[in-house]
Amino acid sequence: MTSRGISIVVARCLSSLEWLFRLDRGVPQGKVRWVVDGLAGALALGVVAATPAAAQEKPSALGLGIFTFTSGPAAAYGMPGKNAADLMIGEINAKGGIGGVPVSATYVDEAQGAQGVIAEYRRLAGDAKNQVMVAALSSANCLALAPLAEQLEVPTVGWNCDTHQLLMDGKSKYVFRPNGNTVPEFIAYAIYLLDRKPDVKTVAIINPDYAFGHDAAKIFTAALKALKPDVEIVAELYPKLGSPNYQTEISRLTTARPDVVFSNLWGADLENFVRQAAPRGIFTSSQVILALGETVLQRVPLPDGVIVGVLGDGWWMSPDARAKPETVKFAEAYKARFGEYPVFPSIKMANALIYVKAAYDAAMRKNGGKWPTRVELADAMNGSKVETLTGIAQTRTDNDGLVDQIVGVTVRTSAQQFPVIGDMVRYKGDSLMPQAGQDPLAWIATLKPEFAKGLPKPGSYK
Amino acid sequence: MRTVTAAAAVLVLALLPVAAPWLQFVLTLAIAKGFAALGVAVLLRAGLISIGHAMFYAASAYGVAFLARAGVNDLGLLLILSVLGGALVGAVAGLFLVRYRAIFFAMLNLAVSMVFYALCAKLYGVTGGTDGMPVPVPAVFGVVLGEPAFKSVLFYLSLGLMVLIGLAVQRYLNSPLGHALAAVHTNEIRLEYLGIPVWAVLLIAYVISAALAGLGGAIAGFAIGRVVPDFAFWTASGHLVLIAVLGGIGGVPGAFIGALFLELLHSAAVTVTDSWNLIVGVTLIIVIMFMPQGVYGLLARKEAASL
Repeated sequence: MTSRGISIVVARCLSSLEWLFRLDRGVPQGKVRWVVDGLAGALALGVVAATPAAAQEKPSALGLGIFTFTSGPAAAYGMPGKNAADLMIGEINAKGGIGGVPVSATYVDEAQGAQGVIAEYRRLAGDAKNQVMVAALSSANCLALAPLAEQLEVPTVGWNCDTHQLLMDGKSKYVFRPNGNTVPEFIAYAIYLLDRKPDVKTVAIINPDYAFGHDAAKIFTAALKALKPDVEIVAELYPKLGSPNYQTEISRLTTARPDVVFSNLWGADLENFVRQAAPRGIFTSSQVILALGETVLQRVPLPDGVIVGVLGDGWWMSPDARAKPETVKFAEAYKARFGEYPVFPSIKMANALIYVKAAYDAAMRKNGGKWPTRVELADAMNGSKVETLTGIAQTRTDNDGLVDQIVGVTVRTSAQQFPVIGDMVRYKGDSLMPQAGQDPLAWIATLKPEFAKGLPKPGSYK
Repeated sequence: MRTVTAAAAVLVLALLPVAAPWLQFVLTLAIAKGFAALGVAVLLRAGLISIGHAMFYAASAYGVAFLARAGVNDLGLLLILSVLGGALVGAVAGLFLVRYRAIFFAMLNLAVSMVFYALCAKLYGVTGGTDGMPVPVPAVFGVVLGEPAFKSVLFYLSLGLMVLIGLAVQRYLNSPLGHALAAVHTNEIRLEYLGIPVWAVLLIAYVISAALAGLGGAIAGFAIGRVVPDFAFWTASGHLVLIAVLGGIGGVPGAFIGALFLELLHSAAVTVTDSWNLIVGVTLIIVIMFMPQGVYGLLARKEAASL
């Protein structure tokens, strides 16, 4: 190791500077020595750290930085993701890891906010062992990390990152999202609603008061107006994220008497809303759409006929998922280990890890079995088509993902104690996405009522 | 002796990122928060606790983002303009806030800052809501730098500013204007009888402290590359007061020592466990219980004993 030799020489040189301080200046020798030794040590460490690790050699372990909420209210969405990552990494390692290299994950808590997340990202990216980041859940964190990923040239897979702004400029080389985004996710609900209730006149929206809630309202409204121009939005309510009490909002909803109530509340907020809205008759007086309703199916008794979905194709009981033995095995293992069946954030995380593994396999096939560099890995992700637990995750050349969208309504079956999704439809991923480089909201405005005619109908997916 | 210690500490700070490159970001952020905490500490001299200084921190950071959006693309210009912006917000808020004392001052600061926070989060079309606004990498005196080079420039610039502005604030605190702050704390009426306008003394202190918070916010905005409303949330303000108290309000270095301590503690805690909040909290309780003068107070006391 030449670098170690150099660093030792540098350190010795610095230490020898000590004689400069031997003159008695009233400075205690011990302290100066401590300082100089500290500096020498720091510099030596720096020399070692700055020496790039030899690429292409297979490392003893592959590090993944996985960013999710593990504390605070958003952990209701983040922990199922972390659980799924634990399970999936266990499964990958049980089958010999990726290209024979075992995977180990470092979890970063997004509840620290953008500053902490960026600091952790930099720290993890500085270690050559961590070749890929799976980041992140929150859109604000994704947007904050995206420029960093480009600058540090670390392939970064957004396992959730719903916001349509993330890859809008089309310039990303290292940021990938093997998922849909807010545009196809919420257009799907508008189309499904109009197929199921063609005579809808009035709609009320109750979304959390942050970017995700406002984006969803904007997209859902724009899609409805484009497909059925006479629809009227009678109320737009944005309760604070994490509020325990929705009685005021529910009163507004009952007086507005809308045909449809749309909501993308999630986590404990959604559970609280459902528990408070059900006794007050919201579910009987209006057709309710809970965009993230699948996450609470196993927790609160949702009545029949509520339109719910999974913001993608990640429904573990979909016909495609049931047909895959590994998905069934994953769901059962998840239930055995965590006491609940996986919810769609779990599936999104598991799929993101499958996506990373597929990229490694593809990169190694391409370069003849050598351990891929970060660049080769990013190349393998671009334009890829990966078979996930629940369908296909296709990556466009602008790095944005195409996945199918599953929407349905809650139904009771004898097979499960909780309601499941029935009367399903599965929209093709590319059918609800604007072309690369197109402004999504401008694209939605161009949609015509005929657009929905060519798409599959509710109940067609069984 | 003090100068030697301080110089050695700054040198260690300057060299740490060479040893561990990821630390550069943490240290930049710590210095940024140190500036803001110093602003809080200036007001603490007069016995005024502001639980709203994150407003100026955020105002300046948003200032950078808005100026960058408007096409200003020079580090120096952005820094100066945004700090002036922070100071201006401070002057406007200070005009009526410095008339209040004790809990009223603290609560009114909190209230005003939360109004600002709500505006940042709710003016969705202007500020981007909770997704915030991007801060691009600016040119440095006309030189367009890559991201890593810019971050190094930013770090060493912050370090230099820390020394320069630290000395300037030290001078200010040792000037009659600075000593008047302590006098406000002990006996405000006597000060008025001496012919010193308390209102003006406090307004000047308030504007200076807002400008310091603004400088911190601008640096943080550049370092993070994105400004989000959370910058102005009351927990961020509380964080600044905590840093000021933790470091010790006895002198200028206290704020920076407190910020470094808290940021490094945070970085260490999150790598260990999900319950990082618990570790940070317990450490703070220990420090506050056993070091009432703060970390800097401990150092200063040792020195006093050795004299």
